Formats: sequence, structure tokens, C-alpha cells
Amino acid sequence: MNRGHEVLKLRPLKLPHHQTGHLKNGLTVHLVPRGPLPLVAVRLVIRSGSAFDPPGRLGVGDFAARLFRRGAAGLSADQISESVDFVGANISGFANEESVIVSLSTPAQHFEPMLEMMSRLVLEPDFPQSEVELSRRRTLAALTNDLDDPGSLADRALVRSTWGTHPYGHEVLCGKKDVLAFTQEDLKYFHRERLGPRISHLFVVGAFDSKRVMPAIERTFGGWKGGPAEPGAIPSWGGLARPGEVLIVDKPEQTQVQLRIAGRGVPRGHADHFPLVTMNCVLGGGFTSRLVTEVRVKRGLSYGADSSFDMLSVAGTFTISSFTRTESINQLIDVVLGEVKKMREGGPKKAELATVQRYISGLYPGRLETNEAVSGAIADVVHYGLNDSWISDYRERIAAVTVREAAKAAEDHLFGLERGIVLVGNAKAIRSKVERYGPVTVWRPSELE
Amino acid sequence: MNFPREAARAITLTQRMRRHTRTRRSKTQSSMLPPALQAIADSVIEAKLPNGMRVRLLPSDAVPTCSYYTFFRVGGRNERPGTTGISHLFEHMMFNGAKKYGPGQFDRVLESSGGTSNAYTSNDVTVYYEDFMSEALEQVIDLESDRMATLQVTPKMLESERRVVLEERRLRVDNEISGLMDEELSSLLFKAHPYRWPVIGWAKDIENITREDCLAFFQTYYAPNNATLYLAGDFDPSEALALIRKYYRGIRAGPAAPSVIDSEPEHKGERRAEVRHPAQAPSLMIAWRGPPAGHPDCLVLDVLQYALAVGQSSRITRSLVYEQELAVSASVDWTWRFDPGAFTVALELKPEGDPQKAEAALYAELQKVAEQGLEPRELKKAQNNLAAHLLRELATNNGRAHSLGTYELMLGDWRQGLALPSRYESITKEQVQATAAQYLTPERRAVVTLVPLSEVGT
Repeated sequence: MNRGHEVLKLRPLKLPHHQTGHLKNGLTVHLVPRGPLPLVAVRLVIRSGSAFDPPGRLGVGDFAARLFRRGAAGLSADQISESVDFVGANISGFANEESVIVSLSTPAQHFEPMLEMMSRLVLEPDFPQSEVELSRRRTLAALTNDLDDPGSLADRALVRSTWGTHPYGHEVLCGKKDVLAFTQEDLKYFHRERLGPRISHLFVVGAFDSKRVMPAIERTFGGWKGGPAEPGAIPSWGGLARPGEVLIVDKPEQTQVQLRIAGRGVPRGHADHFPLVTMNCVLGGGFTSRLVTEVRVKRGLSYGADSSFDMLSVAGTFTISSFTRTESINQLIDVVLGEVKKMREGGPKKAELATVQRYISGLYPGRLETNEAVSGAIADVVHYGLNDSWISDYRERIAAVTVREAAKAAEDHLFGLERGIVLVGNAKAIRSKVERYGPVTVWRPSELE
Repeated sequence: MNFPREAARAITLTQRMRRHTRTRRSKTQSSMLPPALQAIADSVIEAKLPNGMRVRLLPSDAVPTCSYYTFFRVGGRNERPGTTGISHLFEHMMFNGAKKYGPGQFDRVLESSGGTSNAYTSNDVTVYYEDFMSEALEQVIDLESDRMATLQVTPKMLESERRVVLEERRLRVDNEISGLMDEELSSLLFKAHPYRWPVIGWAKDIENITREDCLAFFQTYYAPNNATLYLAGDFDPSEALALIRKYYRGIRAGPAAPSVIDSEPEHKGERRAEVRHPAQAPSLMIAWRGPPAGHPDCLVLDVLQYALAVGQSSRITRSLVYEQELAVSASVDWTWRFDPGAFTVALELKPEGDPQKAEAALYAELQKVAEQGLEPRELKKAQNNLAAHLLRELATNNGRAHSLGTYELMLGDWRQGLALPSRYESITKEQVQATAAQYLTPERRAVVTLVPLSEVGT
């Protein structure tokens, strides 16, 4: 069924009305009233993510944000959990590379008391010493236990071998040494100096009372003071830390090898965004992508294979993920590299492009179905300095990409020899087989602790 | 454990039907529903095609997309030794070509129409779904009815898909500790019931399933009278129903699927097993057989599951994870099944953790519930959370179709699903106490311990 020559007609997307305002303390507030279910989602985005963690204290922001719930404004962890859990709400805090994010999901009838609780956790965390120690012990155990999961080992090794010393390489949980070093004062310093209303946006989406919502936000977040006047800057990136190399994380008991191949990508909002996204979908996005067809359907080498662009404010990466039984690792790598080369040199075909344009456009509205999804989508637009038309015109802009633009994007952005390969598996069985792809280094899993 | 065809996507089905179909817009029978649930109940349109296929339409114009779910009443439960895993392997085969849309066409046509699909197989059911732009509805119905009517199983596609499934098994079982333990636990808890083998099947069985096995399986279990269709999203209900009738009309009903005998003997005494495998830390999985879906005690165990392990203030999370620090995480899996299924507690320990202590602490918590029930506030908290969970499930087209369809299969009627919050409300602390005391006893439990191989020096 070739629809390549048809103009893609789309039913209008009913975009929720989005209002923006500011509190006197500098906090930006975004309101999106939305039904029909009696639920509300709140998302607070503070531009102070792991990229800003200082050396020796990597991961301190995430560690602190997770502790908000374990003691604040004189309330104990049990008291907080009891009141949040009681009404069927959730509040959680964490950090990613660029932001600290605190989110609340609550039945609408409990919105105000839960917003009140959320604000106390953000404004007045106590970081009780006993909770700091407990969290440290749990975090260290989780870091160690993660070494049993080949997929997450591969992802962690990839972050290190890709970003190197760039702040985006401050993996949220960077390692035992730093976690052991956190003090209560580090956490208080982080809270006092790195968080504040002027670098923050609060998104409230759902079935709230439109008359009461702003007074409620004033009452709860209006007293928040201090912190940075503006977000910090993230330096530009010089490229892959270990270009052309092969890194094996040795797990002798594995009968399967996890594979990641990474290259340089683009920052969010790049001029080539739409051609890149459509081209990537042909390569490794959907269930009929070239990678799935070649790896899974034609050869039965794996259960899955995909490719993706990860785009952050100042830089991004392009990554392919798959896995296969130990004996087939060369075949898998050769097929994957071959497909990347073919796409870089020839671009997608017209029919392929038409397919993914409908695929991406057709499913896009599904990314705006829940309050949490809407708050996330709008938060991204704000965070990356895009505008609301990024959402409203997304489908049309995907549909407008031409074969030539997609091919150019592939030629410009897909890796050639400058790529890093990460493997997690039995090093003894695979080392000699993969030397042909570049100099090999073998790590023990514990080097990723 | 469910086995999706691919992480995070799904599929649908089709069938031919004959002559008259009755439809009715659902009448609000339970007058006690809160307004948001009542509005959903009022929107449901039901039909049954002459070939026995049940159809449920859930129109909503919030976003211009639809979700199309097909539920078949077949899963690991309907299998036999020697061909375990056939339900799941067959689920994969449903994507490999029928008469009108040949090999590779299903996903290609669907994606080029603005849709995506996936499927999963559980112990009891096989479920296919598509999410797609509304304009593609007829295309989706055509695709689904084509494969329900005329699926082709070619030797070449079967061999290729068999390799994919074996790789999936290596991923989820052989190279994943929780998969290894879960497999051990099922065969320990169930002696006679088909729940004892893994949904993905034993590797040798997967290797030996034949094309004839697949064809017989298709004839038996993929008939329209064994299927239930849910469509949720932005569509015109009368047009949609007319299309469904048109495309499924020709698919003939099959004989009733053979019934499954539950020969599970009485569980007389604790059963224990070890899994020795390279690992950083020990862990535990402990299970008891519960009641079958639809039994009133199921809902009491839902409440107990939430009180024990959902949220930081839940009993075993607070006690074992935060206060005593015996576990890094604690979770309870209580999934309703057609026949009595497993109420499973999983404890992930620290690298130097002591499984015996963790186990003893868990039993002490269960003992408390069995002796004293829950605090009134704890009970209310579980009820509130179960109600909020239902609302969140209903927030998307996909979630509405999936959850109401699952409730219909498990409880006999989707209305029972919407009525759950009020039924949870009526549960008392005495019921929780009695149910914990009845089911979660020492002599009825099965315990699997992961012994990290480095510890035993191998």
C-alpha cells in the first residue's frame, strides 16, 4: 500500500489550553486545565541536573532529591509517606542530566493538600542524618546489584565510553566513591545554593479548580527564595571519548551478548530534527525498520534491535541497541554496521519515508493522553527553548520531510568509523572475534560500581 | 509473567461472522459509580456477532487515535508437556502472514497507515492490540480479520520465529535472575496444573513445536467465539460496528475449546528450592496459591497486596526495607488468573544480606496481619490507592480497552471492573485478617532462594 504520493491529512489535535504566569519570587507557572478524569499531575523542573554536580560529589543532586520524601519541615519519612500514600497520590524527586524534577500525581479532590506537601518537601527538606545513612546503604547495594543486569551494565558502560569527562557523563549514580563521600552538609548546600524559584518551572495539568489554583500555588511555593539567578551553562562537547574503540564488560556466565554502538548526535531543537527523526525511524524506529527486518525478521539473530537519537541542550548521541547469542555476535555487528553505512550513503527510499511519516504522525497524539504526558511534553518545550507550535505542528513537520532532506541528514549525522562499541558478555569467548572492529579493552563489572 | 512480542508495543485480531448481531448501549446498572466511572460505563456499546465474537466499543474524542484490542482465551494454561510455549510462539506467528496480507505485510501496512501493534501472552490469555490514527480504523479491522480468518504458517517463517523466541528466552530467563527464579518458583508451587511451566515454554519444547501443532492450535483457540474485541478512541460507533461486522462476518465459529482440568493436589507442607547462579546478592521469592479470579477473596488479597508492598509506607516496605534494612526492595505480585494463581513476594537483598533473616522478618509481618488484620487507616489507604489505580488505568484509549477487556475476561463483565472501588470499600479488617490467615500459611508456601555462586565458591 503505497501512500507516498498522497498528501497526509490529519485530524486536528485538540491541544489543551496552556496559560503561563510568574510568581513574585521568579517561579514560572504553567497551567493546563484538563479533564475528564478527576486527576491532577504537577511537575516542578529545576534547571540544576547532574551535569552541575561537582567532581567528587557526582550524583549528589539525585541523591538529595530522592531524600526530599524522607524528612521535611519536621515531618518524618513515615509521616510524609503516610499522608501521601493515604490518598492514593505519588510524589517523587530525581535528577537527570540537566534538571532536578519533582512530580506529584494525585486524585483531584486531594490536590491542594498534596501540593502543600510537595512544596514542603521541596522548600524545607531536613535530610535527617539517619535517612542519609540509610539511603547511602541502599544506594550502594543497588549499585552492586545492578551489576547482575547485563542491559543496564551495557548502558552504564556506554555513558562512560561516550561522554568521558563531559558533564553529561556524570551518570546520575556515578559510583561508590562519590556516594560514600556525600555528607549532610553537601545535601544542604545543594538544596540551598543550587535550587531556587528563578531557575524553575511548575507545570500543573488536570482537573483542578481554576479559581483556586493560583492562590494555592502562591500559598505553597510563593515563599520559596534563594538559589541561582539563572541556570548554569553546560560546555560544548568535543565528541566521543573513545572513538573507534571496543569495550567489553566481562560477564563469563552470559550466553548472550548485549551490544551498543554509539556515535555523535545532535542537540535538541537542531535544524535537522525532523529529517533526522524520520530517517532514524526508517533505520531503527518502528517494528518494520531496516534493523528489525535485517536482524530479527530475516536472520532471527535477536528479539530486538533499535536505534535512537538522544538529544540534550548542547549535544546529543546516536545509539543502536541489540543483543544476540554469543556465537552470533560478529554477524549482528556486521549487519548493524552495514545498515548504518547503507543509510548514510543512500538515505531512505520514498516509500519507506512515507510509511514512517504516517507512523510517527499517527501515533503522536497518543503522547498527549495523560496529564503526566502533557506536563512532560510542555516541560520539554519550555526547557529546550522551543515553542508550543513544536507540539501543535509536530505531525505536519514530520509529514513535510522530503527524501532528499532525510538522506542529507543521514549523510551528515550517522557515524562512519568514529563510533564506539560496547559489549557485555563472556570476554574470553568474544574478544578475538571483535578485535577487527577496533582496539579492545576489557572491564570487570565492578569497574562500573 | 507476561511475554510481550516486543518491549512496549502490541497487536489485534479478526474473524468472520455471520448474520445478525445484537447491539446495545450499556445501561448503568450499578447506580453507585462515581461520575467519572459512570460516564465511561454509559459510553460503552456492546455487541455479539453471530459467530460468537464479543465486541465492545468505547468512543472518546480526546485524541484522534484509537486502540484496538483482541483478547483470546488461551495461554500457557491450555498447553501440554512437549509443546509448552506454543501459545507464545503462536502469538509471534500471528505477525508472519495471512492470505491477503502476506509475510511481513502486517506491520508494514499498519505502520504505513499510522499505527503500531504488539501482543503478549500470559498464563491465561493471549492479547493483541493496535494503537493507530483514527483514519486507519478500517485498515486495522481488515488486517486483524485477515489473520483471524486465514493465518498462514509457513515452515520458513516458523523456523525464523523459533530462533527469535529462543533468543527472547535467553534474554528473559537464562540471562535474567528474576526470570530464573520465577521459573523455579512456578514448578515448585504447582505440581499438576499447567501454571507449573513457564509461559515462554521450555527451550527443548520451543525447538520441537511443529507446523502441525501450530495449525491445530489455531483451529482450536483462534475461533471468533474464543475472542473478545475492544475498540477505544475517536471513531463513529455505528460505522465502526458496521465495519467490524463486514470484515468478521465470514469467519466461522469453532467448537468450544477443551476445558482445562485443575488437578492441583492439596499443598501439604512448605516446599523449598535453590537457584545457584553468579550474582552479587542473594534474593528470595515466596509464593502461595490464592483463589481463582472472580472469587471474592481475590479482592481481599488485592487490598493485602497494597497494604503490604505498595508505597513507602506499606508494611513490608517500611519494615524490611527501611526499618530493618534486610532487603533493598520488596514487592508483591498478585495477578488474578482463571484458576488459583500465585500470590508472590519478592525480596531483593543486599550483597551481604541474610536470606534467613529476611524470610523470618517477612513471616513475622504476615503473622501480624493474620492475627490482627490491618489498622483502619491502612485499610482505607489501600482502598484509596486501588481506586486511584483504576482511574489512572482509564486515562488512555489503550488503558481503557486493556483494563475493561481484562476485567471482562477475568470477572465475566467489564462492569465488574468499574464497580471494583465500591467493592474494595466494603472489605473489612476482619476479612483481611481471615484471608491472610487462610492463604498465607507456612505449610502452603513455596520458597526459592537465589544463592550467589561466588558465595558457594564455584
